[in-house]
Amino acid sequence: MAKTVLEVRELTTRYITRFRESIYAVDHVSLKVDEGRSLGIAGESGCGKSTLALSLMGYYFPPLYYTSGQIIVDERNITGMDPDDVRKTILGNEVSYIPQAAMNALNPTRRVINFIEDVIQAHRPETTKREIYDMARERFELLGLPPEVLEKFPVELSGGMKQRTVIATSVILSPKVLVADEPSSALDVTSQKMVIKMVMDLMEKGIIKALVFITHELPLLYNVTDDIMVMYAGQVVERGTAQETVFDPIHPYTRALMGSIIVPEAGLRGVKLAAIPGTPPNLKRPPSGCRFAERCKYAMPECRAASVDLHETKAGRAYRCIIPEEDLRRLYKNEQ
Amino acid sequence: MKGYRDYFLKKLAWFVVTVVVAFTLNFILPRLMPGDPVAAIVARMAQGMSNATGVQAVYEQYTELFATDQPLLNQYVIYLRNVLNGDFGYSISQYPRTVADVISASIWWTIALQFPAIIVGWIVGNTLGALAAYLRKGFDKVLLPVSLFLSNLPAFGMATILLVIFAVNLRWFPTSGGYDYAMVPSASWEFVWSVIVHYQLPFWSIVLITIGGQAIGMRSMAIYELNADYVKYARFLGIKDSKIIRYVFRNAMLPQITGLALSIGTMVSGALVAEIIFSYPGLGSTTLSAVLGGDYPLISATTLIITFMALIAFFALEILYGLIDPRIKAAQSG
Ligand SMILES: Nc1ncnc2c1ncn2[C@@H]1O[C@H](COP(=O)(O)OP(=O)(O)OP(=O)(O)O)[C@@H](O)[C@H]1O
Ligand SMILES: [Mg+2]
Repeated sequence: MAKTVLEVRELTTRYITRFRESIYAVDHVSLKVDEGRSLGIAGESGCGKSTLALSLMGYYFPPLYYTSGQIIVDERNITGMDPDDVRKTILGNEVSYIPQAAMNALNPTRRVINFIEDVIQAHRPETTKREIYDMARERFELLGLPPEVLEKFPVELSGGMKQRTVIATSVILSPKVLVADEPSSALDVTSQKMVIKMVMDLMEKGIIKALVFITHELPLLYNVTDDIMVMYAGQVVERGTAQETVFDPIHPYTRALMGSIIVPEAGLRGVKLAAIPGTPPNLKRPPSGCRFAERCKYAMPECRAASVDLHETKAGRAYRCIIPEEDLRRLYKNEQ
Repeated sequence: MKGYRDYFLKKLAWFVVTVVVAFTLNFILPRLMPGDPVAAIVARMAQGMSNATGVQAVYEQYTELFATDQPLLNQYVIYLRNVLNGDFGYSISQYPRTVADVISASIWWTIALQFPAIIVGWIVGNTLGALAAYLRKGFDKVLLPVSLFLSNLPAFGMATILLVIFAVNLRWFPTSGGYDYAMVPSASWEFVWSVIVHYQLPFWSIVLITIGGQAIGMRSMAIYELNADYVKYARFLGIKDSKIIRYVFRNAMLPQITGLALSIGTMVSGALVAEIIFSYPGLGSTTLSAVLGGDYPLISATTLIITFMALIAFFALEILYGLIDPRIKAAQSG
């Protein structure tokens, strides 16, 4: 059996706003990524993808707070660790991160190499400048980035180059897990492809052992990750392999999500179906029953009665719906 | 480094152009006066003068200085030469002192008052603003209203408050002057002490106002930078807060340097209010009395000095920015 590199158990975190309200943007989320595998996380804007990305690194600062759950990185539970230790030993070193706004992720007044120096020295203070330069150069070359970039200021780089520089910087210490939060969303199609290829290369070249890839475009994940997890209003609503989730979704939300996006695949190109009607619930006061019921075509009164658990299927998939899998499939079939 | 050289040359070219324009305006304006400018100046001057030979001497001096009997180009060359020699003719209001003499006697008072005040105010203000942004909570709650009050107080308000409290009521400091008027300037301890005592109120009136403005500016810049995406990214790569704080304050400070250059460049007008209220013998009060007394040669010379100081400050600022802030250079070279 493959080794589990990252495991998250029932993690709950919340934002506390200026007005002392709690927003549970990550609500009892569990996930597992084995060595050599990649997990895609999809969902609409505001469902908590970025919050989950930040939360699963085990380091919190206002307005985000840890509430409950466990995070296990390479068999080590990091939940109870001293925040300074997490920062020194985990962040950037074991679990690394590419932020959603990677365009602005680099300090504009610091040369790329100096920033890389700061990253490396934060974890390995004894490394000399010479060694750091060699490490950076080697890593940049391996990832197809011109080493001249190292001497540049971020403002001197194009958008796509900045993005790729951020990726290369994030994996400079060969972390076990990389959490990439929409690394390609803000880019044009050509740069998008380049960035996705680069992230996949990180796995192939053995720089990272596991990948968590976040996007709001569910179909995009089919080509990129092995497994997929769909989130809705802070909760996991479906989990399975990429193939199954994209082509044979169980949860009505996953199905709606597949239909609401322009599919970049040939053949499906330009088939833009209507966006999912309605809006996600307010996370300050989530509904007590199924959170998707408001917008669900198949909703029944029982859906709103009590909270819904995540059901595991025999095939190892999971979905959060009170309607059994077979019944859902029948409903879908009748529609066609 | 080629990028920087181009940037430098471009800025230098602009500097030279603006200096030439400012200089030429200073040359042309008096010559646009209707009639003979020399006669007009001397006529105004002669109002307060009883001795005819004096008037005659002044007339000749100005004819030579302005060279109105020669073609315009020659006049320009002569003007240029005079300015380079520091020869601006006689002051009308303080005749027989020359303009150069009047200015050199007052400019050092202004520089000695303003320069340290601006620097101290800038450093203290920026430090307080940065601390307020970083610590927030109680410190910020006190600093922000105080700074808002200080920076919104008009300069004369601040000077007057200090004057009333510390000079009139408490009598800790004298009300006016650069030194005790009964003294003759000398290198004695008494004189130095007198200068120091007279220095305090005008100095602190400028420092306090500068602190208020700088602290507010730095506070909001630093809060903005603290929330920047690069701060979050650096944190999640495990970089220590002490290092990140350094990124933040460096970036927040860069725009604040503009304020510093602006204050230094406009030092003379900046000191005006404090100099007037405390009757401080600087260039500000000299300029004011020149304007009130219609002392044309003195006005002309001080205008030129004020303009040049501002131009030099801005030139220095841009050159410095090009070196320390990569964003500027990148934006300029497109
Ligand atoms: N700093 C914050 N303070 C309070 N609430 C926040 C904060 N950041 C996010 N939220 C809330 O948390 C919820 C989840 O936000 P998050 O950014 O994780 O969504 P997302 O799925 O990444 O969306 P997107 O696709 O737009 O990036 C949203 O309802 C959002 O309003
Ligand atoms: Mg996001």
